[in-house]
Amino acid sequence: MKSTKIYEGSHQWIMFGRDENKPNYIVDSNQYIVRTQKRCLLLDPGGFELFAPMMAAVLHHAPVEQITDLFASHQDPDVISSLSLWDQALTNAKLHAPEIWEGFLRHYGCESIEYVPIPDNGGTIKLDSLELQIIPAHYLHSSGNFHIYDPQAKILMSGDVGAALEAPGAPMFVDKFDAHTEKMRYFHQRWMPSNQAKRAWIERVRNLDIDILAPQHGRIFKGDDVKRFLDWFDALQVGIAV
Amino acid sequence: MNNQTKAQFIAVASITSELSAVMVIAKEISLAAANAKAIAFRAGDKAKGFQPITDFINELAKETIERVDTINKLAILLYQVTVTEFRKTLSFHRFELVVKMSGSAVYADSMLGPLEEAKNEMMDCRRQFKRDVALLLAQLEAVMHHARAARVIAANSRIEASQAGEYLQSLQTVAESVDNAAHTIHDNVQRCRMALSLFRNS
Ligand SMILES: [Fe+2]
Ligand SMILES: [Fe+2]
Repeated sequence: MKSTKIYEGSHQWIMFGRDENKPNYIVDSNQYIVRTQKRCLLLDPGGFELFAPMMAAVLHHAPVEQITDLFASHQDPDVISSLSLWDQALTNAKLHAPEIWEGFLRHYGCESIEYVPIPDNGGTIKLDSLELQIIPAHYLHSSGNFHIYDPQAKILMSGDVGAALEAPGAPMFVDKFDAHTEKMRYFHQRWMPSNQAKRAWIERVRNLDIDILAPQHGRIFKGDDVKRFLDWFDALQVGIAV
Repeated sequence: MNNQTKAQFIAVASITSELSAVMVIAKEISLAAANAKAIAFRAGDKAKGFQPITDFINELAKETIERVDTINKLAILLYQVTVTEFRKTLSFHRFELVVKMSGSAVYADSMLGPLEEAKNEMMDCRRQFKRDVALLLAQLEAVMHHARAARVIAANSRIEASQAGEYLQSLQTVAESVDNAAHTIHDNVQRCRMALSLFRNS
């Protein structure tokens, strides 16, 4: 599992992904942690197969007992099917996840972790003195879906929005935006169901000051590429399977 | 899933199916007993020795049904323990993998606590499984005992039936069906015990 520090200030953002030992039949995903002084938040901690490499990678940054929070942007298996393992490993943790998915996500096994249901209009996650915003992103692509915005680091963790399914070993950051759109187009057109939801999200996100847009698959957008992505997504017709 | 776990799942599933067959047969016996009672009543003095036997058969069938009910509940518990053990074992192995993969990590040692905990929970489940298996085996032993008793009674019934004149045929049929049913129950329960005895000392 490769790790890349994407923000370093009074707290840190670290991205994990491009796991060389990942079986080929599962889709590659990016996991993120936000590390404050005494706490550690895992964003979209990943699938069951990813638990061991992910936990081993996190142990370079935080001890198990300081992993206090998990966030699941939505209910997909690549996002959170590792839940039962985290549930047994962590002694004192909360899972922040969409309210409407609680009864469903509990099928993975969630006994010792406290499920903190996120209402439809979002909310916040507090980590030591840091406050992260939970941004609604419903129907992008899941009907109960959220992103995490860090106003201090100016990072938006955008779940499956901005995702690209790429060949193994792809770089961590987008370098040539136009070429990259080819890797995103079908994914967004097919997985994102609603043009209306897309417009509402773009409007909301344009009001945020974003340096880094960090999706759950593929490469990260930095600087001007963030705006380029929003413009590209704005113009894209989605929900093409009907 | 390792072979031991697989075998546990199969054993629990197979006893559940054997037991549902035992239940059907025990109900048949109780029906046969009611039938025999009616015939013996009509036969009057000719089947005098047969009447207490029918009561006894009925009693035996009832006890078997109750016991199989208890065993079924135990089997459900055993299934739940098997599922939990499977999950705990899976976690334990994943945690071992974490420890192996996190070799040089600053906080690698912090995983040792959860690893130990997972191991203890897995071992607890194994012990629980063995305890439940022992309980179940004892209950199955009791059902087999009943089945053996039923066969002895069936043999006696045949002798009594031979003195029942024109009712001989129908009473003998009753005795035979009790004997067959008891035989089948005995075999089914024996299979359950064999499936489980693998785990008594494993
Ligand atoms: Fe998804
Ligand atoms: Fe995804």
